Amino acid sequence: MNALLSLTLVFALVGCATWQAPAEMNDSALRSRAVSATNEGVRVSATVLSADETRRLLGTDLTGAQVQPVWVEIRNGTSQPKWLLRTGTDPDYFSPLEVAWSAHTTLGGRTNAAIDEHFDKLGFKNPIAPGTTRAGIVFTNPEQGIKLLNVDLLGQKTLVPLTLFLPVPQDSAAAGATAAQALFRYPASELTDHGDLDTLRAALERLPGATTQGEPLNIVLMGELEDIGAAVVRRNYRRDARAADMGQQVFGRSPDAVLRKQAEARAPSTWIRAWRAPLTFEGRAVYVGQAGRPVGGRFAPADATQVRTHEDVDEARNLLVQDMMYSGGLDKLGFARGAAAGERSDGLRAVLFFATRPLSLADVEILEWVSLGGR
Amino acid sequence: MSAATLSPEESAAVYGAPLATRRIQPVWIEVENSEDRAYYLLSPGLDPHFYPASEAAEALAQGDAQKGAELDRRFRGLAFRNPVPPGATVSGFVLTNLDEGVKVVQLDLVANGRARTFSMFTAVPGFRGDYHASGVFKRELYAPGQVTDYTDDDAFRAALEALPCCATSKDGSRKGDPLNLVVVGGLEDAFPALVRRGWRPTEQTWSGSILRMASSFLSGERYAYAPVSNLYLFGRSQDLALQKARDNIHQRNHLRLWLSPMTYHGRQVWVGQISRDIGSRLTIHSPTLTTHKIDPDVDEARAALMEDMAYSQSLAKLGLVDGVGAATRSAPRKNLTTDPYYTDGRRSVLMFDRRPTSLDEIEILPWLALGK
Repeated sequence: MNALLSLTLVFALVGCATWQAPAEMNDSALRSRAVSATNEGVRVSATVLSADETRRLLGTDLTGAQVQPVWVEIRNGTSQPKWLLRTGTDPDYFSPLEVAWSAHTTLGGRTNAAIDEHFDKLGFKNPIAPGTTRAGIVFTNPEQGIKLLNVDLLGQKTLVPLTLFLPVPQDSAAAGATAAQALFRYPASELTDHGDLDTLRAALERLPGATTQGEPLNIVLMGELEDIGAAVVRRNYRRDARAADMGQQVFGRSPDAVLRKQAEARAPSTWIRAWRAPLTFEGRAVYVGQAGRPVGGRFAPADATQVRTHEDVDEARNLLVQDMMYSGGLDKLGFARGAAAGERSDGLRAVLFFATRPLSLADVEILEWVSLGGR
Repeated sequence: MSAATLSPEESAAVYGAPLATRRIQPVWIEVENSEDRAYYLLSPGLDPHFYPASEAAEALAQGDAQKGAELDRRFRGLAFRNPVPPGATVSGFVLTNLDEGVKVVQLDLVANGRARTFSMFTAVPGFRGDYHASGVFKRELYAPGQVTDYTDDDAFRAALEALPCCATSKDGSRKGDPLNLVVVGGLEDAFPALVRRGWRPTEQTWSGSILRMASSFLSGERYAYAPVSNLYLFGRSQDLALQKARDNIHQRNHLRLWLSPMTYHGRQVWVGQISRDIGSRLTIHSPTLTTHKIDPDVDEARAALMEDMAYSQSLAKLGLVDGVGAATRSAPRKNLTTDPYYTDGRRSVLMFDRRPTSLDEIEILPWLALGK
C-alpha cells in the first residue's frame, strides 16, 4: 500500500468514526414526553431533545455547536394550510444544513453528504396542509430549565399563536432545577382582581418600588403568560437567570422569571426580572419587575461574574417599551408612579398590556396616565 | 422629519470621543409634530441593535470613572428624548451600528392608536461617496417607455415566471445563484421592513474590506461587512446588496436586488437572490480567495426571509411563482463559486405596504402552495 493510499484510508476512517447514521429513527420517546397545546383547531406538541436523544436521532450530540434541537409536531385541524414561522420561535434559529455543516469533517466527502441528507430529512418542513400532521426538528439556541417555546402559525390573513413551556432535560446533576424554576402561583384567595384601569393604576402604584436589595422595579407586564412569552421571544429574549438575578428579592422570593435579550451580533444586553404580583386585571396575571442592563452592557466580558445593574434603569425601561412595540403583542402602554426614584431615575414604571391577537405599530393604545417627561 | 448620518470625524467632534472606533454611528433626527397627540420615536426601527447613550459612554470611557461620568452627561444630553408633544419639535441623536457607504434611516413614530413611518436612504459622509446604490432611488434606471406596468395578477405572475433563472457572470456566459426573490415596493415600505429586521446595505468589494474580511476569517469574529461579490442581471451588477449579520463571518444571510423594468400597480418591482452563508471556505473562483459556503438548500433561505418579513410590520402579501427551474439534491446546480445548490424551482414574491400590518393581516396570494 503506498503512502497516499494509506493516508486516504486514515481520513476515510476518521470521517466514518465521527458520525454514524442513526440506526433507528423512533420518535416515540419524544412523543411520550411532549408538552401539547391546542388553539383554533391546531394542536402543537413539542419536546426539547436531551443530549442522549440528540445523539440517537442525529448521530451527533452537537456538543460545542450551541444548538438545542426541539422536536415539534403540528396537527392542522383547520381548512387552511398553515406555515410555522421559525423566526417567531427563535429569531436566530439555525437551518438544518447549517447545523449539519458543523458536524462535517474535513475530507469527509460521502459522510458529509450523508449527514446533510439526514439533517435535511429531520428538519421541520412547511406547509402543514389542512387535516394533516407534520413533525420535525427546529434547531434553536439553547435554554436551561424551562424553555418557553413560541409557535406562530401563519395562514391566510390569520395567525394562530401558541406558547408551550418545555422542560429542558438535564443530563447532569442539576435535575432539581426544573421544579425550582416552575413558575410561582398564588392561591386564588390571595389574589385581588381589578376590573377598571383607575383602580388598577392605583394598585400598581402601591406595589413595592424596589427589590429588597434596593433596585428599582420599573416595569409591569400584564396578560396571560403565553402572550407575554410570545411577545418577548419574538424580540429575542430568552430565559436566562443568573446568580446576580436570583440575589434580588421581592415578596420574599427571587424572580419568578428572568429573560435576557440574546440576539446575535452584538445585541443590547437588556434583562427583565419579573415577579408575579398578588393581583390580576380582568382576571389576567400581573408581573412587576425590572428592566435593566449590566454595567458595561454588550461590551462587558461574557464570562463576567460580577454583574452590577447600570444605574440608568429608565433608559433600559424605555428601550424595552420600544422593543415591545415591534412584538405584535403590545396592546396598551401606560406610565405609572411607584418605582423607586433616584438621581438617574424618574420613578415611573412602564405598564405593558399584552394581548393574543397580533397587533401592528398603529394598534397600540397609549394610556393617559403619567406622561413621560423628556426621556 | 429630518435626519443626517455623521461621518467618523463629525461624530468624534460632536461627541468628544471616537465613536467610530467602537463601530458606533450617530444619526441626528429632528421630529416636528404638527398632530394632536404625542409621538414616540422607536430607536429599534433605525437599528434593532442600537446603542443606548449610557452604554456607548461606558464603552468609550474604557473603565475611567471620571471620564465615564463626563461622557455619560454629554451623551445623554445629545440623545433623542421621547416623547414629541403635539406642536413641538424635538431633535437629538440615536446611536446605531456603523454603516459604510450607505445607510437606510428608518424612522418609526408611534402615538396612541397611530403610527407614522419615514425612510431615508443616505450616503454616509467619509466613506465611499460614489456607492452606486445611493443613486438607485434618485436616478432613473429606465426610460419611461422601457417600463411595463402590470395591473393584472395573472399577467404579472407570467412576467415574473419568464424572468431568467439565475444571475450571471459579467459577460453573461455563466450562471450564478438562482433568482429566487421578488420584492414589490420601495423606499417607503420594503426597505423599512428589511431595516427593522436587521438587514443592512453592504459596502462593495474593495481592498480595505477584503483585508478586514481576511482578518475576520482568521479570528472568526463577527464582521458586519464581509464583501459581496458581484452578480449580473439586466446587464449590470446588483443595485443593492444587503446582509443580516449573525454571530460571525461564517454565518450570515445575503441578498442582492436589481430594480426591474416592471412595475406592479405603479410600484417598483425588484428581482433578486437570497442565500444563507453557513461557513467560509477557500476558493480560486473568487478574487478574494475566500468565499461563503452557502446552504445548498437555497429554498430554506428563501423561506427564512419570508418568515422574517412577516414580523416586519410591512409585509402585506406573499406568494410563490415558478421560474428558477428545479434542481434535485442528487443533481444539484452550482453557482459561480461552485457551491452546489438545490431548489424546488420557485421564487418568492413579497409585496410590502406602508401601512403597518399585523401578523394576521398578511394575504397569501393564490398562486403556488407555499412550500418549505
